[in-house]
Amino acid sequence: MRFSEATGRQVVSTATADTVGRVDDFVVDPRRRAVVALSLKRTDGGDTLLWTDIVAFGSDAVTVTSGDKIVDAAPAIVALSGKEHRLIGKRVLTAGGDDIGTVDDIEFDADTGTITSLLLAAGDVAGARLVGVGSYAVVVRPK
Amino acid sequence: MRLMRASGIIKRPVVTMRGDDIAQVKDIVYAAHGGEVGGFTLAGRGMFAGPMKLGLAWQAVVALGADAVMISDESALEATSVVFDAAATGRGGGDVLGSQVLTDSGVDLGLVIDVIIAVSETPGGKCDVVGYEIEASEALGTKGTKLLIPLPDTIAASAEHLMVPASAKDFVSHDLAGFGASVKAFRAQLYGPV
Repeated sequence: MRFSEATGRQVVSTATADTVGRVDDFVVDPRRRAVVALSLKRTDGGDTLLWTDIVAFGSDAVTVTSGDKIVDAAPAIVALSGKEHRLIGKRVLTAGGDDIGTVDDIEFDADTGTITSLLLAAGDVAGARLVGVGSYAVVVRPK
Repeated sequence: MRLMRASGIIKRPVVTMRGDDIAQVKDIVYAAHGGEVGGFTLAGRGMFAGPMKLGLAWQAVVALGADAVMISDESALEATSVVFDAAATGRGGGDVLGSQVLTDSGVDLGLVIDVIIAVSETPGGKCDVVGYEIEASEALGTKGTKLLIPLPDTIAASAEHLMVPASAKDFVSHDLAGFGASVKAFRAQLYGPV
């Protein structure tokens, strides 16, 4: 699944069948090369849904057991959030110091949250090559 | 081996493996009497623009690419004085600009306008000064054109002159693409094949 198609998807409670939020952004841990949480458009409870609290990331909705799973971001999540840590639109540098383009989209595994590839105009970069995401660039290992 | 102009490295961002740009190159510190790059002095970026008290020794550089100088993390930076001491610079590279290149047979080849460096592709390799870009004199035929001349491992340098073997003028190149082969051929005829 891609970030672009998953953004805006509704988050639905399996207990009440209510829409309890909407996917706004993805929080990625570059060390684990995985999505660790979803940022949601502000709800009453908070704006963060941990990946481990998701029941299923389906093609039409993200399901959770209850709206209570939507919480305020813990410091560890805040540290990975924000513009500095976003992948989309950021320049990509190889560990050798060469600019190879900009991240257009991200492909991830809907079951595990693992980043499978970074989509660039110049071609896909395997998610396993991800090294870091910082204020200036996304750094990837050479092939 | 990858060739680049020293002038192109100035202002290149210094980026950690985490993707943060923590400085940019202000100037190059030469070592081994101008024969190698010993490190860089740095300037801040964005909100922290301006000279920094920290520098970067070549040993702490993970890679020097076309678009960034890559380092592991902030701990790679050290006091500028340490970088200068480690380089024990004989003659700074910046001040070769404008110097006259003379052959040992007494012919003026032109004035230095840039320094050409070769970056080793293997980690831990040296960053060698392999040539100068010069504004050619009449002796090279086409006065005023920009040419690349290869350098031997070590050269004699004074405040005004840089002394190169007379054969250097037989190995000039017009662009970086062909210059690697020129340097190799020039050094091979000086020292024998490597």
